[in-house]
Amino acid sequence: MKRGVTRRPLIGLVVLAAIAVLFIALPLIGLLANVDWSHLPAQLVSADVLTALRLSLECSVIAVAISLVIGVPLAYLLARTSIPGRRLMRGLVTLPLVLPPVVGGIALQTAFGRTTPIGTLLDHFDIVLPFSTAGAAIAEAFVAFPFLVITVEAGLRQRDDHFEEVAATLGARPWRRFWRVTLPLAAPSIAAGAALCWARALGEFGATITFAGSFPGTTETLPIAAYSSFEGSGQVGMAITLSLLLLAISVLVLVVLRDRWLGALR
Amino acid sequence: MSLHARVRTQLGSLGLECDISVEANVTVAVLGPNGAGKTTLLRVIAGLVPLDEGHIEVNGAVFEDTATRTWLTPEARRVGFVFQDHGLFPNLSVLDNVAFGLRARGVDRKTANTKAHEWLERVDLGRYATSRPAALSGGQSQRAALARVLVTDPHVLLLDEPLAAVDASARLELRRALREHLSTFTAVRLIVTHDPLEAASLAERVVVLEDGRVTQEGPFGDVSARPRSPWIARVVGLNLLHGAVSSGALLLDDGSSLTVATGVQGPALATIQPRAVALYRQPPDGSPRNVLRCKVAGVDPEGDRWRIRLDGPFPLVAEVTPAAAAELRLAEGGEVFAVVKATEIDVYSV
Repeated sequence: MKRGVTRRPLIGLVVLAAIAVLFIALPLIGLLANVDWSHLPAQLVSADVLTALRLSLECSVIAVAISLVIGVPLAYLLARTSIPGRRLMRGLVTLPLVLPPVVGGIALQTAFGRTTPIGTLLDHFDIVLPFSTAGAAIAEAFVAFPFLVITVEAGLRQRDDHFEEVAATLGARPWRRFWRVTLPLAAPSIAAGAALCWARALGEFGATITFAGSFPGTTETLPIAAYSSFEGSGQVGMAITLSLLLLAISVLVLVVLRDRWLGALR
Repeated sequence: MSLHARVRTQLGSLGLECDISVEANVTVAVLGPNGAGKTTLLRVIAGLVPLDEGHIEVNGAVFEDTATRTWLTPEARRVGFVFQDHGLFPNLSVLDNVAFGLRARGVDRKTANTKAHEWLERVDLGRYATSRPAALSGGQSQRAALARVLVTDPHVLLLDEPLAAVDASARLELRRALREHLSTFTAVRLIVTHDPLEAASLAERVVVLEDGRVTQEGPFGDVSARPRSPWIARVVGLNLLHGAVSSGALLLDDGSSLTVATGVQGPALATIQPRAVALYRQPPDGSPRNVLRCKVAGVDPEGDRWRIRLDGPFPLVAEVTPAAAAELRLAEGGEVFAVVKATEIDVYSV
């Protein structure tokens, strides 16, 4: 592409593109410039940060686990079968991608709140979702799970079912084909989907705070803790430290996925 | 052991309608042009494509019967299918690939690995046991795929274009190895190919499949000597004519006629070897020969025999030496006289 008439780009486009890059870069530079590097190590291992970090990891890992268990089968059905209502289902699954997370939180509240039928039923088993750690994980799963489904579905679509046919002629029954052929061949896309899903769950804020609130140690995950320090208690330094931590994790995810995502663009 | 299949199935624009029987210890080759339905036939037998109507049985066990609504799943059919692309699982080692069928049928890991190893040694791939299939050449991957199905001791062996994914230099050696392995395997053996050489060297019997229908079957020698369709005549390099014999003359469908020496009467096919077609610049006279005025439609140099395509009363191919071609100054569009002796025309009933 970089030859002929497009070799010398238009100056106007260069200027706008430079603004775009600055637009993304400046806030990050601002964040890094305001880090109190001398107090950073102490802050990172402070009880508050560690509590929020542990809670964030817990909730996001549960969210990914939920997404894997129900998301991979859904992706398989969407990619490989022609069950009726497929298009509707795909639309429904992708809805949380565009839905404001706050709306997701309120919707979860109306479905699983303590006074709802499901909430009452769960109450009998001493399970309470709203304003609990489990609720925070559910809220994160709700928002993050489309990333997994879409990535895995695309991965499954890249191959037809030829290897499943081969396995069948070799005597493998359907479940064996699924475990031994379909899943291993889809492993790269499942890993990528899980990583994306995890990153999204880790950063989840709106649905979580609406459905689960912000109780330190129970539902106050890293992003919520960052927001509370920044807005509530005016501890801007702490907010920046927490933001830096989240930024580092995001960069890590990007590095892990770089071959898969950036490699495809090269 | 034997396979009997009556197949009627419509797949897109291809209507497959053929009956096929294969006895044990005889390798049968389904020979036909691309798109004739050869692969579909194998897929039907393996249970990967359902029958619209028909019946498939192996050793008396019914795989599928549309009349009684019987259908066995592919995994229950004990069919060994070597796919054209070999279909080795890219994520498994060569050994795990070969052991896959045994593991799927409930053999424990240790026994399965031992047997898989034995087979890898038999196909001369022992040192590739831990390699991924991507590390194998076309011929090696073909042998691995063959070992993978033979280790499961299938009742039917299906080979789809076994040498297609192998480069030409390795083909001769692989064909020899393949023939050897086929001879040790006693169950039903069915090979699909578009290459008459492959059919001739690997199979005892040939079934010609064209456009979903069987046009001819029999030993390869018979089929190639007396082809019944233009396609098979072309691939074995013969001129095929279609007409009717009446009092020593073969009347062709286009209205022209040839003098023939035959006892056959009525509708008949006739073949002429290209090298039996002599070419002259002037019409020769004398003996009762067939002289055809033709235009040269094309000259295809092939080693020390050049194939000359002729446009006359009917299309004809002649074979001459390069020296003769030069002497006759053969060039596209030029006029020549093709001469065929009556005794060189092989006439047989339709």
